Amino acid sequence: MLRLAWANLTHHKVRTLLSALAVGLGIALLLISKGLAGGSIAEVARRVQSVDAELVVLPAQENLIFTNGAPFRAVHERHLARQADADGPLADAVIPVFFGQVKMGGQQQRLFGVSPEQMNAFLGSRRVLTGRLFDRANAFAELVRAGATPPMEIDDAGYAAYLADGLELVIDERLQRVGNYQLGDEIRIMGQVFRIVGVVETGVAGRVFAPLETLREIVVAGETNASMYFIKLRDGLEPVTAADELQAALGPAARVELKSDYGRLLHESFASVNLYMTASSGVALVACFLFILLTMYTAVIERTREIGILKSLGVTRLGLVRLSVLETLLISITGVAAGIALSFAARWGLSILLPLLTVDLTASLLLLAVLIGVVGGVLSALYPGYRAARLEPAVALSYE
Amino acid sequence: MTDESTIDVHGVEHAYTHGGVVEPVLHGIDLTVRRGEFLVIMGPSGCGKSTLLNILGLMMTPTRAEQVRIAGCETLGLADADRTRLRRESIGFVFQRFNLLPTISAWRNVALPLRIRQQSLDGRVEAVLEQVGLGRYAHKKPGHLSVGQQQRVAIARALVGRPAILLVDEPTGNLDSANAQAILALLADFHRQWNQTILMITHNENLAVAADRVLHMRDGRLLV
Repeated sequence: MLRLAWANLTHHKVRTLLSALAVGLGIALLLISKGLAGGSIAEVARRVQSVDAELVVLPAQENLIFTNGAPFRAVHERHLARQADADGPLADAVIPVFFGQVKMGGQQQRLFGVSPEQMNAFLGSRRVLTGRLFDRANAFAELVRAGATPPMEIDDAGYAAYLADGLELVIDERLQRVGNYQLGDEIRIMGQVFRIVGVVETGVAGRVFAPLETLREIVVAGETNASMYFIKLRDGLEPVTAADELQAALGPAARVELKSDYGRLLHESFASVNLYMTASSGVALVACFLFILLTMYTAVIERTREIGILKSLGVTRLGLVRLSVLETLLISITGVAAGIALSFAARWGLSILLPLLTVDLTASLLLLAVLIGVVGGVLSALYPGYRAARLEPAVALSYE
Repeated sequence: MTDESTIDVHGVEHAYTHGGVVEPVLHGIDLTVRRGEFLVIMGPSGCGKSTLLNILGLMMTPTRAEQVRIAGCETLGLADADRTRLRRESIGFVFQRFNLLPTISAWRNVALPLRIRQQSLDGRVEAVLEQVGLGRYAHKKPGHLSVGQQQRVAIARALVGRPAILLVDEPTGNLDSANAQAILALLADFHRQWNQTILMITHNENLAVAADRVLHMRDGRLLV
């Protein structure tokens, strides 16, 4: 039967190739969209794991991916800040992060506003490759600490002078390589010109860092709130217990999560986009398998006489369905192989065109593609197979 | 009638329905074929020969019949799967239009009945192809063979599994006289050599010479 199925397929090479290509394109579309979504999320999640902290605190209703600015309520800010006081019960460090956006390396990047004093929590064991981290004693930070007030008039030059050395950026090596950035390059963010002062090893939580005080000043006029917090617990505290305790204190308006759950949180935040991408790929795949169904149906009509011959030789109804399924499976498996090859080729192409994107073609994703190919192939073969099976042999043989 | 190499049918009637119009083609056919007999049924086109052959080959069900016993088994009321099994195990067909699968070689066409029965090939395909004189052409696809050669492949395919009954439908209808004679000689050989039960329908009187018995058919009735 396998040889017969193979012979039937190779006898109509163009039709077989077109069918396999249709499946391949559908599978490639699915793999690339899922791989891109999963890869980007996994890559961000991996980077965030490098932060020297155990807990993450977020505003309850915020979406992790689309959050910018400072949505926390002041009461939460103050409660969290107290945790890191000398007599604070929970934290060695409370690390606020203020999110912004900047276009660098050809695509939108999340800008991490972090305190210069806390930059080491993000850097960990990673090295500064060129330049330096933020100047801890920069003039702007000093001004803020001294309680200076910004200029009241609209005066761009005066405002830039007020921000002074606070207009600094630290980027990671991957972004530096992709954008071919040099130390001293100027990047315009929210009307201000920032200067790249350092490049750190890839793997830190953000690709672009700016001083927290600077972003707070520019975006929320110096208010002391943040987009999210990392909490470095005191030694010996059990993270789950500490998280529960902190959650109880902050109430329902905030969400306390383990840092290790950051990947899951990203997936949740990305769920609607992911659903849309999966649905689009799914529709494309269904169209591909409908194409196979049509191909197989046409083949059954064309080969009615051959089906009659097989019946006259004693092939059972089940045997004919099996033959139809076998032919479709051969098309599907060829299509899946082509789709996987196409996906790897597309990933390679994307790595050149958009190097900051991560496409994760994981084993489970590839297995899913094979599964979809097999199940889709079987389903699209059933009706043509059933139609072939119920033909009366004498009627099938008289078909012209 | 229990001998499994026989055909024993009584009161077989059949009618086709086209657009609500019923067209009777067989009228109360009674027919018995002995084991090892070479029977030829002759008659003009449209007299119902092929319909009768299809019913005997379990390729269609008669509209009405008292008995359709094939290879020792009453087939009226049999499930489709059982009819298929009986056809697979006991009946071989040779058609006027050869009905070979065009996508596979002559050898694979001949091997097909054995594979369908999940029987060992054991050199039987080569042997029967040699017997029909096509040993050298085994690897060729039907499209690359002459019509005479294609009919020889069809005969080899029908006989490779040594079925109890061989049903032959106008085997020389598409052949010139030389090829027709060769095919007839081949069928006669198999009949003699294997004591093969053969039922052949034709309108060619020259083919009747090889038969043990000749029946005539007209307007859906066998003439006695």
